[in-house]
Amino acid sequence: MALIDKIKNLEPDKKKSPLLHTAYDAFFTFLYTPDHTTVDGGAHIKDGMDLKRLMVHVVIALQLCFVFGTYNIGHQHFVAMGQYTGFIEGFHLKLAHGLIKLLPIWIVSHAVGLGLEFLFAAKKGHAVEEGFLVSGALIPLIMPPDIPLWILAVSIVFAVILGKEAFGGTGMNIWNIALLARVFVFFAYPTTISGDEVWIAGFDRVAPGGIAEYGWAHGLFNGLFDAFNIDTFKGGTIVDSFSGATPLALAKAGGWDAITAQYSASQMWWGAIPGSIGETCKPFIIIGALMLIFLKIASWRIMLGMVFGAALTGIIFNAWGATEFMTVPWYHHFTIGSLLFAMAFMATDPVTATSTNTGKWIYGFLIGFIGLIIRVLNPAYPEGWMLAILFLNTFAALIDHYVLEANMKRRLQRA
Amino acid sequence: MELVNIFIKSAFIENLALAYFLGMCSYLAVSKTVKTAFGLGLAVIFVLGITMPINWMINTWLLSEGGIFGVDLTFLKLILFIAVIASMVQLVEMVVEKFSPSLYNALGIFLPLITVNCAILGGSLFMVSKEYNFAESVAFGLGGGFGWFLAIIAIAAIREKIRYSAVPAPMRGLGMAFLLTGLMGMAFMGLMGIDPSAF
Repeated sequence: MALIDKIKNLEPDKKKSPLLHTAYDAFFTFLYTPDHTTVDGGAHIKDGMDLKRLMVHVVIALQLCFVFGTYNIGHQHFVAMGQYTGFIEGFHLKLAHGLIKLLPIWIVSHAVGLGLEFLFAAKKGHAVEEGFLVSGALIPLIMPPDIPLWILAVSIVFAVILGKEAFGGTGMNIWNIALLARVFVFFAYPTTISGDEVWIAGFDRVAPGGIAEYGWAHGLFNGLFDAFNIDTFKGGTIVDSFSGATPLALAKAGGWDAITAQYSASQMWWGAIPGSIGETCKPFIIIGALMLIFLKIASWRIMLGMVFGAALTGIIFNAWGATEFMTVPWYHHFTIGSLLFAMAFMATDPVTATSTNTGKWIYGFLIGFIGLIIRVLNPAYPEGWMLAILFLNTFAALIDHYVLEANMKRRLQRA
Repeated sequence: MELVNIFIKSAFIENLALAYFLGMCSYLAVSKTVKTAFGLGLAVIFVLGITMPINWMINTWLLSEGGIFGVDLTFLKLILFIAVIASMVQLVEMVVEKFSPSLYNALGIFLPLITVNCAILGGSLFMVSKEYNFAESVAFGLGGGFGWFLAIIAIAAIREKIRYSAVPAPMRGLGMAFLLTGLMGMAFMGLMGIDPSAF
């Protein structure tokens, strides 16, 4: 990459501006070390990309989802109260509200996860592995905005200790850490992560009507906004006609017509709908996915396999048409719920996915197939991708085993 | 269609190993390599698939009140079921010993122990309590066996994969197997609650 070499030339002088150099160095090691390659003529190392750089690239690919998630938390909050219902109206308020909700989740996620990482590294006497960087960025994006922080902390402790450290640390886990944390919340504290209400953040629901709940942080922002003479948080209650139902809940009840009665197709594409924090904005997810494919971090085989699997299952359901949900046109399944987010960032986790190329196709296809089955056929769960990916994580080792076996058999026959 | 539903339900949704946690002793002990797990899994499919219909016949025609004796003999259910299972396992053992001595040695004591594998007896008892007819009991037996087979080869593949992981010393061996089984059960919970006959 030529860009990399250009940035290298920007290196500030260490003596003249030490602070700038430290910042440069931190990001430089994040992005470009180790940069050892074999000299020209050697055919070995093109790019010594290590774990830290790989992780940071995924985190960068997630940033657009973070930005939109921040905005959408606020957007849903104000839409529920019937204020600033336009996309851009009250933009600063929406961002501020989103930040107040998302920042604590982000901090707790990293503090608990990295804290455990440091603890285990010290205990086992090796260098800190950066394994939690990606999980720490993914976990906030797949949680509902109002999740109690202690539940978040407990779920991360569960996922990191039992899902990763018990298996020997970074790169050895069998199940996706972020999804283990979410599935723990899902089964242990179901009321905090399912239903129509949890996706709309910042209301005191004990009171009738749901009164907007503002704390000191909102007060700080109010002072700031007052100084600039722009709108401030005024508070309010959830309007009576408002329903926070996600497209999935609507589809379960009444099929595609019920969804379009409340959300337009373009609204679901751009992501101004209730849902987990990072899953709603499809274009940004696709940009992140393309970036991961372009940098060869995520496997396009898994993504494409998953798209095929979901599309084929959707087409079968369309033809079957036994319930309202089955009649939802198959191409619309991609914009409701978290299919794309799971495809781009969850299924492609190189540690828990299959590692053979044929295996990746099978793995992706089966995730698409089973995920859509759970989404459409299982009345108990609103969405299927989390459970489908965990299910296929279970079988990833088996798929690899048989792909390898078949390969050996073929080559033995040729010999 | 009903038979397919029962097969799918018993294989995936109500998996004997991962939803009911039956047959755990051989499940944990013989899941070190995929090859032996595969053999044991096949044996379990065979034994479940054969004993289920035989037990169905015994239960309906001999033991129940409408049977040939005309009296309710269902209290003999357990002992007769186990007798049938034991004889079938004997048959499997002879076949395996004849055709694959290496598998026979690898399975060791766990092959005859299928007799007391609670997945098999449990399957027969479920079959009675769910009041299946003959064809349904065959589907249930094969489906339950297939589900158990899938579970044991999946855990065996995972255990092969993590053989060289830096698993902390206290977690090695059986502790890891227990943890894996629990997490696999959690992964299987995604399918729980689907009712194939509802569509």
